[in-house]
Parts: sequence; C-alpha cells; structure tokens
Amino acid sequence: MSKKYEYVPEQPLVQGNHTFSSITSLIGDIVERPTPMWWYIAFGVSNLLLAMLLGMIAYLVWEGTGIWGLNNPVGWGWAIINFVWWVGIGHAGTLISAILFLFRQGWRTAINRFAEAMTIFAVMCAGIFPAIHVGRIWVVYWMFPIPNQMQMWPNFNSPLLWDVFAVSTYFTVSLLFWYVGLVPDFATLRDRVKSKFGRIIYGFFALGWTGGNRQWQHYEKSYLILAGLATPLVLSVHTIVSFDFAVSIIPGWHTTIFPPYFVAGAIFSGFAMVMTLMIIARKIYGLEDIMTINHIEKMNMIILVTGTMVGFAYVMEFFIAWYGGVEYEKFAFINRAIGPYAWAYWLMFLCNVFSPQFFWSKRIRRSVTASFILSIVVNIGMWFERFVITVTSLAQDFLPGSWGYYSPTWVDVLTYVGTFGLFFTNFLLFLRFMPMVAIAEIKMVMPQADPHYYDENGDEPVLTDKFAKKPDVNA
Amino acid sequence: MSKDTNNTYWRSLNQLAQNEEYKNFLHREFPENGSEMNDNISRRNFLQIMGASVALAGLAACRKPVQKILPFSKQPEDLVPGIPLYYATAAPFQDYVTGLVVETNEGRPTKVEGNELHPSGKGASGLYEQASILDLYDMDRSRHPRKNGEKAEWADFVAFANDHFSDTSRRIAFITEASSSQTVTRLRNQALAKFPNAKWVTYEPFGDDNLLYGSELAFGRKLRPVYHFDKAAVTVSLDNDFILTAANSVESTRRFSQSRNVETGDDSMNRLYVVENNYTVTGTMADHRLRIKSGEIALFGYALAAKLAESITGLGAFSGYSNAFSQHSWVAVLAEELLNNRGRSILTAGADHAPELHAVVAAVNLALGNVNETVTWHALPFAEPGDNRKAFADLVREIGNGAYDTVVITGTNPSYTAPADLGFDDAIKQAGTVIHLSGHNDETSKNAGWHINRAHYLEQWGDGFSYTGVQSIIQPMIQPLFGGKSEIEFLAAVVYGEDKTGHELVRETWSGAITGDFDRGWNKILHDGLLENSGFGAVSPALNGTFDSAAREAIGAASPVNGIELVFKTDPKLFDGRLANNPWLQELPDPITKITWDNVALMSPATADRLGFKGSAFSSKDEPVARIEAGGDSFEIAVWILPGHADDSVTVYQGYGRQSIGRVADGIGVNLYAFRTTGNMLSRSDVSVSNTGRLYPIAATQDHHSMEGRPLIREASLEQYRNEPNFANDMVEVPGIPEGEEHAINLFTGPQYPEHQPQWGMAIDLNTCTGCGVCTIACQAENNIPVVGKREVKRGREMHWIRVDRYFNGSTEDPQVVQQPVPCMHCEQAPCEQVCPVAATAHSDDGLNQMTYNRCIGTRYCANNCPYKVRRFNFFNYPKEFLTTGSDPEIIQMAMNPDVSIRFRGVMEKCTYCVQRISRAKIDTKRETGNSIKPADGTVKTACQQACPAGAITFGDLTDSNSIVSRTKRNNRNYLLLEELNIRPRTSYLAKLRNPNPKLA
Repeated sequence: MSKKYEYVPEQPLVQGNHTFSSITSLIGDIVERPTPMWWYIAFGVSNLLLAMLLGMIAYLVWEGTGIWGLNNPVGWGWAIINFVWWVGIGHAGTLISAILFLFRQGWRTAINRFAEAMTIFAVMCAGIFPAIHVGRIWVVYWMFPIPNQMQMWPNFNSPLLWDVFAVSTYFTVSLLFWYVGLVPDFATLRDRVKSKFGRIIYGFFALGWTGGNRQWQHYEKSYLILAGLATPLVLSVHTIVSFDFAVSIIPGWHTTIFPPYFVAGAIFSGFAMVMTLMIIARKIYGLEDIMTINHIEKMNMIILVTGTMVGFAYVMEFFIAWYGGVEYEKFAFINRAIGPYAWAYWLMFLCNVFSPQFFWSKRIRRSVTASFILSIVVNIGMWFERFVITVTSLAQDFLPGSWGYYSPTWVDVLTYVGTFGLFFTNFLLFLRFMPMVAIAEIKMVMPQADPHYYDENGDEPVLTDKFAKKPDVNA
Repeated sequence: MSKDTNNTYWRSLNQLAQNEEYKNFLHREFPENGSEMNDNISRRNFLQIMGASVALAGLAACRKPVQKILPFSKQPEDLVPGIPLYYATAAPFQDYVTGLVVETNEGRPTKVEGNELHPSGKGASGLYEQASILDLYDMDRSRHPRKNGEKAEWADFVAFANDHFSDTSRRIAFITEASSSQTVTRLRNQALAKFPNAKWVTYEPFGDDNLLYGSELAFGRKLRPVYHFDKAAVTVSLDNDFILTAANSVESTRRFSQSRNVETGDDSMNRLYVVENNYTVTGTMADHRLRIKSGEIALFGYALAAKLAESITGLGAFSGYSNAFSQHSWVAVLAEELLNNRGRSILTAGADHAPELHAVVAAVNLALGNVNETVTWHALPFAEPGDNRKAFADLVREIGNGAYDTVVITGTNPSYTAPADLGFDDAIKQAGTVIHLSGHNDETSKNAGWHINRAHYLEQWGDGFSYTGVQSIIQPMIQPLFGGKSEIEFLAAVVYGEDKTGHELVRETWSGAITGDFDRGWNKILHDGLLENSGFGAVSPALNGTFDSAAREAIGAASPVNGIELVFKTDPKLFDGRLANNPWLQELPDPITKITWDNVALMSPATADRLGFKGSAFSSKDEPVARIEAGGDSFEIAVWILPGHADDSVTVYQGYGRQSIGRVADGIGVNLYAFRTTGNMLSRSDVSVSNTGRLYPIAATQDHHSMEGRPLIREASLEQYRNEPNFANDMVEVPGIPEGEEHAINLFTGPQYPEHQPQWGMAIDLNTCTGCGVCTIACQAENNIPVVGKREVKRGREMHWIRVDRYFNGSTEDPQVVQQPVPCMHCEQAPCEQVCPVAATAHSDDGLNQMTYNRCIGTRYCANNCPYKVRRFNFFNYPKEFLTTGSDPEIIQMAMNPDVSIRFRGVMEKCTYCVQRISRAKIDTKRETGNSIKPADGTVKTACQQACPAGAITFGDLTDSNSIVSRTKRNNRNYLLLEELNIRPRTSYLAKLRNPNPKLA
C-alpha cells in the first residue's frame, strides 16, 4: 500500500505579502513619524524610576551597605540576585542573534535587533550591582588589573574577578555585534530621514555605508566572525556567573551542575523577557506581519524546553544532595523545600517548572495573551530562583548557631525597581530612534528574497489555498 | 609608681601640653542627655542618635579624620611612646577586690587583665573587670558635685561638711555599699566614734548578706564560706550560680575547671549537680540538673538534710522531717553521693536564698566533714554582725520617722534598688540633709541635696581584701577624668571635715600593717598588687546552740509555692544595674538566651504554652509581651521561652529600666525593683501573668538553638570516653586522608611556611568552657571592636570577633546546654582567602589568616564563604558612630588600643589571634635573642585566652612540640570543627565530657 505524502511548505517568515519597500517603510516610519504621546508618558515614568535608582545609589554610597537588609550570615542579598537575574535576561539576545544565526534560523531576524538591545540594556542594569554592592565603592577599581603603587594584582583565583572579565567582555562583544548589524539600517535611515540633524547623526553611525557589493562582503564576514565570538560567550558568561556560587564551599552553592543549569535558566528567562517586550511592541507598532504568531510559538517552544531543563536541574540537585551523602548539602536542599524560605522555593518551582508546561498545548502556545502572562510568570520565577540560591544557602549553612533570616529593606526594593527605569529609558530611546527590526536582515528571509520566488515571467507565484495571500495593499 | 601625690598623672597628651583646646574641653558642660533619644527602638541603641551626626558630617564621611599629635618636650621616666606600661591594682566589687594588672598607653589605661601573682584569678578576670575599662571612659559619668541639682565644687562640699559635721551630736544615717576596704572600715569606726548618734548600714540589693547572716545563724558569728571546688569530687549547688553571677566567680570557675581538666581517660572528673529554677551558666555545666521552683529550693535542701540526717550526726534538727521532696529520686541519690564523698563534697546554695537555708547548708557541710577540706570558713574584718537587709529596712523606716537629720549614702543607689515597699524616696525626704556619692547623677542623687561625683577605681587610691582575704592596694592609673572623689576621700571629708587625698588616707591605714621599711613594703605591695602571704585564716566553726531550734522553725515555716512565682535575679551582665551604662555589657549576648539590650521574662515552654505565649518564628524577632501583676501593681515585659526553665516560674533580671543616668542605659528594658519586697527579695508568688497580645522586638544574637544533630560540639560521658578515647575524631569520617598523612589530599598546594617562623594555633577545651562570655568582652576591649546598638544586633550585625554558640540538647522541657566559643579558625586552606577578588585576606608566614583592612573593598564574599561565619562586616561606619559622638568623643577614644587599627565603613574584620600581641612578642624576642622570632611558650597570650577564668583556651607555637598548645592538641579529645571540608583550621576543640551518675541516667 502506498501512502500519499503531501509537501507542506514552511510558512513564510514575513506575512502580509510585503514588498521590500513596504518593509522598509513599516520599520523606518516608526523612527520618522512624530513622537506619539504614549511614548512621552512612558519615557517620563521611566525617567522617574531612573532618578529613583540614582537616588538610591547616592544614598547607598553616602550611608553604606547597611541600608540594605544584609546581615552576618547573608552577605549577599538583592543586589547579587538582581545582578544574576539581569545578566540572565541578557542571554536571550545573544543566543538569538549569534547561535540562531550560526544555525541559520531565519526567524531570528524578526526579533534579533531588539533582543540584542535588550541584552545590552539588561547587562547595563546588571553591571550596576557588582559595582555598588561593595563596601567601599570608591576603590572598586581595585578589581581591575591596573598597575598601581601597591604593586598588587587582583586575586586571579577569585570568581568575582572572573566575573569582571566575563561580564565586561560580554558587554563589549554584544555592543559591537549589535552595532555592526545596525550599520546598513542606519544607512537606510540616513537616506530616508528628512531632518538635517537626523541625517548627520545616522550618517555618522552608518560609517559611509553605500550598500556596495564589497561592503556587503565585509559586512557578512564580520557579522559571521562576531557571531562566532559571541556564541561561546552565551555559554561562558553565565557559567562564570554560576562560578561565583559553585566555587564556594557553601552547601547549596558548591554544585557542579551550576554552569549548564544557570545557562539554561538564563536562556529561559531571556526568552521570556523578549516575549514580554515583543508582544507589546508588535501590538503598538503593528508589526504582526513580521513578528508573527509563528514566532511566538517557536519562542514558546524554547521556553518549554529550557524551563524543563531548569526543572530537571532542580530535581537533579535534590537527587545529588541525597546521593552525595553530605549531611550539610542534604539539609540545604531539604531546608529549601520546607525551611523558612519554602514559600520562595515553591513559588520558584511553580513559575519555572509548572507554568511552562502549559506550552505543550498548541492552542496556548499560539495564544498571545497566554504567552504574555506566562512570560511574566517565568521572569518572576527566575528572580526567585536566584533568591533561593543566594539567600537560603547563606542564611542556614554549617553552624546553626550563626543562622539568620534575611529580609530586604525598602532601599533594596526601590533599587531593584529603579533598574527598570534604567532599562526602559534606554529601551524607549531605542524604540524611538533606532530601527527596532533588522531591516536588511529581514528582507533576506522574505519569500521575495528567494531567487526562485518569481516565475519565468517575473510574476509572483500562485499560492495554494492554504497559504493564500492577502490582497496586496500596495498594489 | 609614685611615692608622693604630686607625681604627675595625666589624662592625655593634650592635658600635659595644656593647650587651649583642651582647657575648653575641660570646662565644657556636659549636656543633660535623654531628650534627643525619644524614639522607642532607636534610643535603645545609641547608634541611631549618631545617625544624625553622620548625615551632618558631609563628605567627611568618606574621609578618615585628621588628628594632631604632640610630642613630649620632656619624656617621663620609663615611658617610651608606643610601649605600654603595666601597673598592678585591684578592682573593688561589693565586699571583695580582684587583683588586676592594667595596661596603660601613654598614660591612658586601655586594658585590664587579671594579676597572675594574685591567687584568686591567677591572671584570669571576669566580665565586670574586663568591661570596667569602658566605665572609666563613660561620658555620662557625673562630672561635678551638685548641690540641690545645681553645679557645685568639691571645695564647696568640703566647706559644707566642715560646718555641718562639726556638730557631733548629729543623728546621721550612713548607708554604704558593701566594701572590704581597710580604710573604709577605719573611717567607719572613726565616724561611729565621732558621731555617737550615727548608724552605719550596708545595703546591697544583691550580694552575700543572706549567706553571711546564715553563717551567723549556724555558727553564731559571721563567717564567709570559700568553696574549694578543685578538691570536691561531688558538688551539689542549690541555685548557686557560682560560675558566673555569684561573688568571686572567677576563682570558683578556675577551681571548678581544675577538676574538669581531663588529659587521658585515667583522669578523674568532678561531678556537679545543680538544682535551680532558671537556666544558669552553672546549670549548663551540671552533669545533672533538676529544675524546680525557686521558692521550693529550700524545701529540697531541707529534704536532703533530712535524708542525710538518717546517716550522719549533726543534723538532729531534721530527724523525722519530711516534705514533698523527701520521696524525690534526687534526694536519695544526692544523699548517697554526699555520704560516699564525705570530706570531698560540697553543698552550696545561692546567695539570694534565705539565711536559714544557708545555715542548714553550713550545718550539712560541717556534718559531712567538708569543713577545712572543701569548704573553709573565714572571719571578715569588715563585717558587722546581724542581718544587713533587716538593718537597712529598719533604718529606712527610722529615717522615714524623722529619726535622722542627715543621710550619707555612698555608692549604693537605693532610690533605684531598694524594695518598693520600703518607700525609700519618701523616707529620705524626712531627713534634712541627704548626701550621695555616686558615679552617675542617678536616681538617688536626684533625691539628694548633695551629689558628689565618684571617681572610678582606676582613678583612685584605695585598698581591700580579696574574697579569700589577700590584701591589695588600689592605685590610680590616671587622674580622675572628671575630678571625681573616691569613697574614702568622701568619707574623710565627712569625718574630718577636710580635704584629704586618697593617697594620704590609704597610707595612714597601712602605716601599721607593713612590717619593716614602710616605703619598701608599700612599693612592693603596689608593684605586686598584693600583700605577700596575706589571706584570711580558716576557722573551724562549731554549730551554734540555737541552730537546731532555728532550723526547726525554718523547716516548719517552709511550704510549697502555689501558682506562678516571680523570681528576681541579677543580670549576668549588668549585675544589679550598676553596669547598665556599659555598652559592651549591654551588647554582650546573655550566656543562655543570647539576648542583648533587654531584659525579658523567662519561662518554660510548658508554662508559656499554658499562658498562651508563642515564641517568635525563625523569621521574626518579635516576642509576645506579658503583663505581670504583683501586689496590685503591674508591669509589661517581653516573654522569652527558655527550655529547661522550671514550670510555673517566671524569672526576671534586675538592672534595667534606668532613667536619665546615661545614654546607654536609659530606657533599656524594664525596671523591676518596684516589685521586690523586703519580705522576700528573691521571689514572690502573688503574681498573675496575662498576655497583652502585643509584640516587642528582641535582639538576640542566636536564632536557632539546636545543633540539628551535627557533630559540632562533640560530647560524651566520662565512661564512654574511657571506653572509646577517640570518640571525638571517630564521630566524623574524613575522606581522602592518605596513609600516614594528617590531612586529606588537596587540589592546591598550601602555603609554605618558613622554618624560622613560629606557627600559631589554638585549642579550646569545651569541657571547661562555661560559656560566660568573658572572652567576648576581653576581645572587644583588646581589639577596639565597636558597639553597634540594638537595631543592628537585631539585624544580625553584631561585631564580636569571638562569639559563643549555645545549643540545647535533649527534650524541649528539660534539655542540656552546650556552649562553644567560635573565633576565626585561621584555616590553612582558608576558603575566604581564595574568593577575595583583591587579595585583601591572605596568609602570613606564621600561619595567620590576615585581614588587610586597607585593601578590603567589601565584597563580603569571604564572609559568605566562611563555614564558621566568624567574619564581621562594617555595614555602617560603626567606629565613627561609636567614637565620635556626644560632646566629648575624645573621652571614649582614650579607651582604644593604639596597637589596633580602627576599621572603616565597608571593610571586613575578624579575629586576628591578637596579631598585635604576636608582633610585639616577636620583636621583643628578636631583640633579646638576636636571631629568633619564635617567642617562648606562654609569652603570647590572646586576649580571650588571658581573660578566660576556666583556662579553656590555649594558644601558642605549633612548631614547638613541647608548647602547651601542641601538648593540648595531642589530647585524644582534640578535634577539628568541620574537618571534612579539608580547610585545615588552626583552632581546634577538645570534646566535652560529662560525668553523669548512672543512677540518675
């Protein structure tokens, strides 16, 4: 018996039968249109939050770390949690732009630009915390290997020092990668904007891009090289962040599973953050044709996979704590589940392990509302994961006599909230003044970019009913 | 040491230089305090007050203060700047003195140590002595005499006294604190001779009054018992906390631990039984502990005496007597133990218990043949016969009746401490003239027409007997900072009507007591700190003829306590409240509850449950507040549920709730003297306890009280130890130790130690450690550790470099308590060193884990990675707050040890093994030997080790296999805490042993 197979072509990545020029307008117009009122309001709110962040930092420098809720067993609190959380969020951007690029995942082009922007802004938010959480902020530069009159190098054994290098390298490479990708689009804007000032600014950043063949060649090569450089960083940065914990000897921190577990968690939270931002942006800017429901579904699959990996890690930690037979380790994990911080542990478990399981259902996976809600839930869960790791391990370690309980102060809370001010201030500026989708790149994955797209007569192909295109609005 | 009073004692270099700034400082009035401290919690810590000054200090907060130094133009003899001088003196406390050696730096006394020549402490010291250095620099001390509250001069008072006391017919009531001083006794005799209508009464709210009066009941004269715990195989303590709060606890602890020093299984160990209501430090050391109500302890004692009366003579009064405890299993067991150890046993009772119980205890010891074996009795040259407490009560009543025109009060503070039913404040209003000598302008001073500011003992000449009668002369270390007058100078003004110096007065007293050349003898006493071969002779007392009838009367009157009793005890830290303005003591965790900066109502879990109190959860520090009604009045106090406390009994510590005496003490805790009655100063049973439903924050330094089954404090019975001498090390299996090696294999090569360097190590014997906390205070004094205040302690930010972890073990109702001091372990593979990004903590060649404050940027990673959690972080600029507040910060700065850096905000600190002492000893050794930098064994003593009365801490060079620490570490009880982490701590512990009686097990 022979079975009949039908070829189902992949759905086009850009829908709505756009032409190259309509794509250019769709994205370029966002920058060129007058600034909408909502933008001013959002920007104002973000600025207030940013001012609050600066105020909290000033207060911290003035008074000392004592204004936070830290105490004797718990030397790291919200600052380190926020650091790890923000760095984790950043990971999705690099993964999307570098790893998916190397794997030739064309759908990445719809979201890579603002995912990368998100990475850079998230790393900026993250980078604040290691700098300000130290006791003597005015000598924090001693962490860098700068020649000095003390003839002292930093201690190269310390994971905190590795952190300094890892995060600064990551930020530099991410910024370069982002910028290189922006060059052709800056040139597009330079050619489109009407104001002279805009032309000068975009022109400056476009580096004299003309779109010549040789330029494209150089561009593609450098982009590929940077993608190659950024790819190991996706794995290394959070690995090294996890070393801050794993290298120590504190039960609950001293765990070899941390590097893969942290990387999976980072991608998990990063994708959730991209999802949150994307759902808002596509709605406001009417980019549903570019950031289609198919994109959402693909991202939800990654969230499901990484969330399940994280869940596996949680369970594995418990298993190893039991299997390893170290009583302090055993206690640390049982205490997480039933100790004074059990509420945080189960909140984490609920958000990170159970909530993504909804995505097994195709209907939920393709639901914009469900995706939006779950993406926020995931980020709450991932914040609590860092809380659980950082705080519960320190609060109750080897000697019960020195156990303590950590609670944040209002300064801890407002500082964290303030980082959203920094993030959204930057992000809103990005939305307003930069092409939020990679115009040049997205054109490469449009059906029209396929050399075989047009028939012999140069006409558009007739599609099957299933993918019947909408009437061409530009016709 | 001076021979004449014109010798120069200076307060500071500034004073010697007589600069304008200092003159201004001397004349500046100290502001009345209190008004600025209105906020409820913040006034409990004087830190927050200082918050304002930090905010106002502007960018100065980011800069280290610049201070001027001035050179001597003429250098005094013996004084080399930077090299401390040590002088012997003695600290008077109630009716005995403790021999001390005081370190002075450029004329400032900075550290108090026990006098090694003195037989009582042998170099050790107690909490009060260690903390007394800070009392000297207490800014809140009264700075001038006051007449009717107005500032006056000492000369005014002398003129007044000359006039007032010229009339020898005056009816004068002298109320003095207990004193052993020969000069005070001489002045008392002269006063009573000069003023025939005068009466002299000693009043102490807590003390040995009942104990001494009990001996009078038993033997017909006042005798002081001295217990030789080192000679006793069995000790039975009826609520006598002889290890911490009782008089002469330093000597008692030393003697007790001598017979707990176990080097091998062949060594014997004494056995301690404790019967008490509240958990005391002595109770934690007990091999068996019985918790019963305080009011029934006498009954227990009588039942025991009755049981003993069946077998020995001399207790005829008890034949046939029985009470509720007669059938108690303990009575038979204790009787058997005491009988089997006649002449080698001790029965002792808490000094606060009734004189009758003390009389019975004395009779029992006599009957058991313990007298002159384990108990010696001594006549006190300064004690007056009779019941002091009754005499005081009678005197106050007479004063209230207008029987006296003048009341002279020295030291003691009856307006605060007198039982409320005496109506002391109203009574003294009936006297025309009230004169009060005291260190602070305190409650009594405010009721007195004349207040004379008292000098600190480190500022005065004086003398006294130690508890066992060793005579010492108190010599001043510094001129009185605030021009205070000593008790003898004050009394001399009253008796002679003239201004005589303490030096003159003491020399007059001693003029007949020194044989041979007076100045030679005098100088030798000053140098040694004691009169050689002095001491009370032991007397062999016999029972008084009236003892039997008195005992029958007492046992007839004794009855069980119905309902809940309220028991008043001294605070282990503040004593009766006289030390309340000492922030070191306020911040010292209570040895049992670990509470700082407050007093609480202690009760057992069952009682709390019955009364509806639930202790706070681990995540909260808010405790329920009880309202306790007694005698028609009531007070509110936080409840602390204490496992091991007797049921239906509530214990409260006195000494809190002071009003406007100083910025530290004011408003902290609850004053409970108002609920004490003359009838029974120890307890009352007419109380009811109810739950207010409110919560009150309590700052305790330890929140979790179980060891969770972890082998942290390793403990065994003596029997188990004999069968299994290596039990301590066998409790944990350390993987990866290669054959013949000491330590497990390691990934890293450890630090290399040069041959010529000593290698420091410490061992702490948990078998003798009592958990009293002297080490913590000694460390705080030596290492300039700031006080952080209640709010910060509550947040878990106390700064103590050596803490004592206390764990309960066993049932919730009747657990055992174990104590473990935890300083920095100086790990050879220190986890803190590896993670510091700027290498601020590193290893020295002599094996110290060093903390370089100047390099520290404050990531706190080291503290996170320390498995012992001994690192302390300066979350705020604590030293600045501690040292630069108030109008005269220069004063408290004088208490600082110049050899130890003051740590700045944002840096980590921790125990250094007293590196400043190590360095000094190494330099001295190098100078003496020319090449070696290995100090002789015993030259370097850490502050904690030096102070420890139990001698539980040994420290020294591990490269010297004969050093005491090396030998101690070879003890098979020696173990490393968390050895399985392979971080190789240099501090080790000796496992605890208990010596239980199989019949009670």
